[in-house]
This record gives sequence, C-alpha cells and structure tokens, in this order.
Amino acid sequence: MTTLTDRYVWAAARTLPETQRADFDRELRERIGDATDALVEAGSSPVDAERSALTELGDPAALAAQYVDRPLQLIGPRYYLMWWRLLKVLYSIVLPIGAAGVLLGQLLSGADIGEAIGSTVTTAISIAVNLGFWTTLVFAVLERTTAGAGQPGIAAVWTLDMLPALPEPAKTSRLGELIGSLVFLGIFAAAIVWQQFGVVFHDGVREPIPLLEPALWSFWLPYFLALIALEILFAIALYAWGWNWWLALANLVLNVAFTVPALWLFLTGQLISDEALAAMQWPWGSSGPVIVAIIVVVVIGAATWDVIDGGIKAWRATRARRAASIA
Amino acid sequence: MSTEETTAGHLQELRRGTVVLACLVRLRTPDYGYALLESLNGLGILVDANTLYPLLRRLEKQGLLTSEWNTDEARPRKFYRTSPTGEHLADALTTDWRRIDDALAGLTTGDES
Repeated sequence: MTTLTDRYVWAAARTLPETQRADFDRELRERIGDATDALVEAGSSPVDAERSALTELGDPAALAAQYVDRPLQLIGPRYYLMWWRLLKVLYSIVLPIGAAGVLLGQLLSGADIGEAIGSTVTTAISIAVNLGFWTTLVFAVLERTTAGAGQPGIAAVWTLDMLPALPEPAKTSRLGELIGSLVFLGIFAAAIVWQQFGVVFHDGVREPIPLLEPALWSFWLPYFLALIALEILFAIALYAWGWNWWLALANLVLNVAFTVPALWLFLTGQLISDEALAAMQWPWGSSGPVIVAIIVVVVIGAATWDVIDGGIKAWRATRARRAASIA
Repeated sequence: MSTEETTAGHLQELRRGTVVLACLVRLRTPDYGYALLESLNGLGILVDANTLYPLLRRLEKQGLLTSEWNTDEARPRKFYRTSPTGEHLADALTTDWRRIDDALAGLTTGDES
C-alpha cells in the first residue's frame, strides 16, 4: 500500500539526479517519520500526524530544489541586470533596423502601402518575440550552469567606466528634432517610391500614372533615395554630437547634392512624367512660368536657409562649448 | 508592513548566524536532525525544522559537519558531528560573538553616562 509519505518522497525525489536520490529518500523519510512521531506523541492520530507533517514540508519540488541548490527563478540576481541591459540594446537597435528593412523591402518590391505597413508590424512583433525568447533562454541556461570549482563564472564585473553620462539637456531636446527628421525623411522616401503607383488626382479619381518620370529610376531616383539614407545618418550624427562645423559642412554638401540635381531635372523637364503633366493639363494657361519661378525660388530659399541655419547653430554650439571649457 | 512583522524579520536575521554557532557547538556530541531540533528549542534557541534541516545539509557540504548513518534502529537516522574545520569556525564565531556583546555593552553604558 502506498502511503502519503511514499507519494511525497517520490514527488520530491523524481526531480533530483539519479545519484542523489537514495540518500535524499532516506533523509526525507527520517525527517517525516520523526515529525510524525512527535505529533502522535502530542496526541494526534497517526493519519492526521502524517498529513500535518507533510503539509509542514510544503511543495515537494521546492524542497528538492533547495536540496540540490537549484534556482527557483528563471534568471537570478547574478544575471538579471546583464539580461535586462542586453535586451534593451537589442530592442533599441535590432528591432528598428529589422522593421525598417522590411518596410523598405516591401515598398521597393511594389507592395501597397497598407500591405507594407501590415507586414512590417507583423514582422516587428515576431522579431520582438524571438529576441525576447532566445535571449531569455540563453540566460536561463546560464543561470542553471554551475561554474567549475574556483572559476568565477560568466558574471560581468561592473566597473566605474560603465557609469552612464548625465543626460545633457541639449541632447534631450535634440531627440525631438531627431524623431522629426526621421519621420519626415521616412515619409519622403516612401513618397518617392509610392508616387510610381499614382498620386495624381483627376476629377477626384486617382490616375494610375507615375508623377515622376519613370526613366529616372535608372539613376536619379535611387540617387535621391541614397541621399535620404545619408540624411538619416546625418540626423543621427546631429543627435549624437550636436552641431559643429563638420556637420554644418556636411549639411551644406547634402543640400547642394539634393537641390542642384533636383532643380536641374525640374527645369530641363525631366523630373515630372509626361502622363502626369498631361493629366494635370499643364501648362495652366499663362501662369506656367510664374509657378515654375515660385517653385525654384522656394526650393533654393529653403536649402539656403537650412545651410545658414546649420552654420549659425554650429557657431553658437562652438561658442557655448568654448565658454564651458573655460569655466 | 506592521511593526510586529518588522520586529519578527529583524529577530530572524539576528538569530540566523547564532543557529549555525549553536549547531556547531551542540554537535560536538553526534546527534540526528530531530533530536537536535528538540534540544535547541528546549534550550531557548528557537529554530524551525524548515531552517534546520537544510542548514545541516549545507554545513555538511561545507565540510563543517560530518555525517554517518545509524541503522541500528527501525528508522535509519543520519547522525551529524562537528568536524575539526567546524571546531575552528565555532571558535572564531564564539570570539566574534563575545566581541560584539562587549561592544554592545559598551554602547549601552555609553548611553547611560
């Protein structure tokens, strides 16, 4: 006949390595037997005594884990911070890059904008789940791997160099600019791809014709997309370092690289596709030259202002830095 | 957390190390788990079975206790005995215990003056 004690001992011992079971079995039976006897002596019936002795012992799995020093947490204090820091790094680098890659790939392969966003979101979720799962799994295994005698294990030693820098107030305010630039550049890049599938409306109906000349895909449109990628790098550099003369110079180069070819293509009539011009019924009477002149002035003005603004900000930042280093 | 819980928590912390010392001293004469539990509690060194049994195993693992199975009776029992290393530790702990006691006494008389 199996007793409650037999069941309890079996439940506890089955999680232990084979070699330790016999000893554990004996020790546990001694403990249960002595506790039961003491309760019987105090006046309980043998059945009640066994029940309360076993209840006192608690969950057999927990008892066995304590016996072999097995951790009862997935990731303990030794690895928790390392796990958390790694996860934060992965989520802030791999996840956005992966999602952006999928979005770009979808748009380049000519997917519908809604479809592209949809598959980007699903892929991003699956990347997030996978990152979380595999990172956690590795650390859970580490937690259960005992280091050899005399070895410190894989625990990373914290040093003073790991202290984070105090957040610069300027950097916090630059974060807003960075997000703004990234969103704008992203929309701009998406618009260049998307216009291929028709953005010209005629009597409220979308015409399935490209706005920009399709022949430009052979060089100029990829060139502008590459420039946008450089602009993104520029925005990130600006966020990281703040304005300085190098970045102001880079800003000038990027502006020239964008504005000069764009205006040249526009003025020589290579930018806008013939079908789009026809659909828009260009030129609009005699106002054509005036509109062209306005566009040219606005584009040159915006680029010039951007370059001057960058110069001013670089000058101010340099002066502020010099003042701070003197102080 | 209530005051009672806080008090209980601090008392437990204060007693934790003393149980180790009490075991090492008491087990100069070999004994088994339950008898040790009874005798310590009888002496006023309050300890719970869920604390004592794992502690005995840990001290044995650290080489501070040695053990031997006694199978003379119907129920086999594991008898623990303080090892020479355990004796050294007991001496060190006792010395420190006295030092702390003196220091606390000094603090208390210092308060009164």
